[in-house]
Amino acid sequence: MTATTPRASRAGIVAAIIRKDFTAFTRDWFFVVISIIGLVFFALIFWLLPNTVDETITIGVTGPGIGEFLEQSTTGSDGIAVKLYSSEDALTTAVEKGDDGVAVGLAFPPDFVESMAARQPTTVSVLVTAEVPGELRDAMDSLVREIAYALAGDTLPVTELSQNEYVLGTDRSGDQVSLREKMRPLMAFVVLVIEMMTLAALIAAEIQQRTVTAIVTTPARVSDFLTAKVIAGTLLAFVQAVILLIAIRSLGANAPLMVTIVLLGALMVTAFALIAGSYGRDFISVVFWSMLFLIPLMIPAFAVLFPGTASSWVKAIPSYGLINAIVGTTSYGDGWAEALPNLAMVAAWTVVAYVIGLSILKRKVEAL
Amino acid sequence: MNLTRTWRIMHKDLRMGPRSPIFLYAILLPVVLTFIINGVFGSLFEPTPRLGIVDEGASSIVAQAQQLEGIHVTEPSDAATLRKMVEANDLDAGLVLQSGFDEAVRNGEMPLLQFFVGGESLASNRIILSVATIDMVRQIAGDPAPVEVDIVTIGDPDQLPMASRLLPMLMIYAVFIAGAFVPASSLIEEKQRGTISALLVSPATVYEVLAAKIGVGVILATLTGVITLAINDAFGGDALALIIILVTASLMMAEVGVMLGTWAKDLNALFATVKAGAILLFYPVIFYIWPSLPQWIPKLSPTYYFLQPIFDLGVRDATLSDVWGEMAISLGFVVVLAPLVLIMARRLQRKVAIST
Repeated sequence: MTATTPRASRAGIVAAIIRKDFTAFTRDWFFVVISIIGLVFFALIFWLLPNTVDETITIGVTGPGIGEFLEQSTTGSDGIAVKLYSSEDALTTAVEKGDDGVAVGLAFPPDFVESMAARQPTTVSVLVTAEVPGELRDAMDSLVREIAYALAGDTLPVTELSQNEYVLGTDRSGDQVSLREKMRPLMAFVVLVIEMMTLAALIAAEIQQRTVTAIVTTPARVSDFLTAKVIAGTLLAFVQAVILLIAIRSLGANAPLMVTIVLLGALMVTAFALIAGSYGRDFISVVFWSMLFLIPLMIPAFAVLFPGTASSWVKAIPSYGLINAIVGTTSYGDGWAEALPNLAMVAAWTVVAYVIGLSILKRKVEAL
Repeated sequence: MNLTRTWRIMHKDLRMGPRSPIFLYAILLPVVLTFIINGVFGSLFEPTPRLGIVDEGASSIVAQAQQLEGIHVTEPSDAATLRKMVEANDLDAGLVLQSGFDEAVRNGEMPLLQFFVGGESLASNRIILSVATIDMVRQIAGDPAPVEVDIVTIGDPDQLPMASRLLPMLMIYAVFIAGAFVPASSLIEEKQRGTISALLVSPATVYEVLAAKIGVGVILATLTGVITLAINDAFGGDALALIIILVTASLMMAEVGVMLGTWAKDLNALFATVKAGAILLFYPVIFYIWPSLPQWIPKLSPTYYFLQPIFDLGVRDATLSDVWGEMAISLGFVVVLAPLVLIMARRLQRKVAIST
């Protein structure tokens, strides 16, 4: 009778390598510290950022009759709020101290309305602090003149467009995307790319310390090693990104879609980590190679913070679709149909990155 | 002192440094702080109003618009492009001036004002751009308003936005953490691990070790200082002067750092000392945030003499000739601290000799 040794299944071998990777990750306190600090910091920063967009210029006004006129003229406008003051001294104090959010004061003389009706020249003081920007001072200067024209009965020398023609695109006045909202994709993506560095360092260490040679002399094949790296890297990035998304309450609106987006993102950064890790010889070179991918990949995430359309070259960056999908889902309530083109783009880039990453890593491992 | 040996020790610290969370903290902190401060107080994410103009004739409005303060004016090729740009939020507003617009206004023909705003533009920017456009049209009409507008600046005429007033706080963090804290913690770690004893039984002298630590502090603090200035758009008009004062500031902080590192027996002692004593180095920043406080008080701290030139050069667009006095005093502090560093170096050598 011969004793038989149970043969390990492929899944069992891959699972064993993954377990080894996680043990290695938790032993490297540098990456553990970075990961924890990163998650806490990002969540903290997110909640510290303003959740509203202040798009209103608050004007303090003094002068009989004029405040009411201004209030009526600006009713329905989100851009201007008017606060009335009983005297110029009270208005000056309010502007100087920024009371009630007053940014600019308009001090009209007591007989302003009558003077304008009679077209009698008079002077109006615009009170500002030194920190009021030039364009706002000029705008207030023009506003006072326009009030004078209106009270003097001078109509505009042009025909204005109707409200429908005047606003192009969806009118988001009073409903702007806040800085906090804009930061969501950046936060999620930063967590993903930090993990790219972690995985790259683990792979580089395996190659340099030749533990991979030891692994492939066991029943494990090179393909098991590569599969384990992909799964471990994706899990590391995915789990942390999901933790952060929960901490910043970004999973709520369409959780299955968000999870899918993040999973695709984790797969993509893992592919780049395979390339960086294959070339990295030590910590510094891993950081260097990771940065080479990390910086361009971060550009679309930063582009979201600024208004306007991203340039064509930004749209060509692999992470663009991922960021677009996160922004659409978290800020504009997009569903699967809207996210699909972006997801397809990410998937295509991920496949390309894996083909390159796996072939480089495979060659490296086989050459050892 | 052998420069090659000093460089080797410095190179080792720079190579191994990124493994330390303090190293990472030193680089990340100013960036993170800037981000928070600009997000809360600043205008990093509120760009200036953007107006696009398409002139299909020869209107004088284009030239007027280009003179507007604080408004970014662009001229797309045609009306269709302009509408697309406004709709895509590449512009806050767009103005199409049809051929003969100016004459039509002057002749009282009430031409159509093709002024559009983007749906995603801020309401405040819409107001600013609308009134600016109407004002330019009024100027063409040539009928002056029966009013004189007097713009009165109240309060401190030199008052700066809060984000600018917080720059000294960011700078002191940048140079202190990188310049003082990194060399101090590195020295303490060397003492605790015993690697300092190994170094000192080699041909390297204690002066070379401390010079290397100072070198690391200066490089790192200058780097973080430059990053902080760059992301705060505070390079002013004299970048060279700013770099000189940054290097001086980094040198002063690195000297403080190595003295702390040779004195403190462990990291807890270092943290406790910094918690209790850093106020002496940090308090001048309060006087930038509240400029109405008595301005002679910050002059009692040595850090004032590099913070003030950095502030003047970076925020107030001063030049080297305006700040050379403070810069000279700052350099004076660096010179005065040098003998103290030497005393601490000898003390360290004695302690290591006793322990071995």
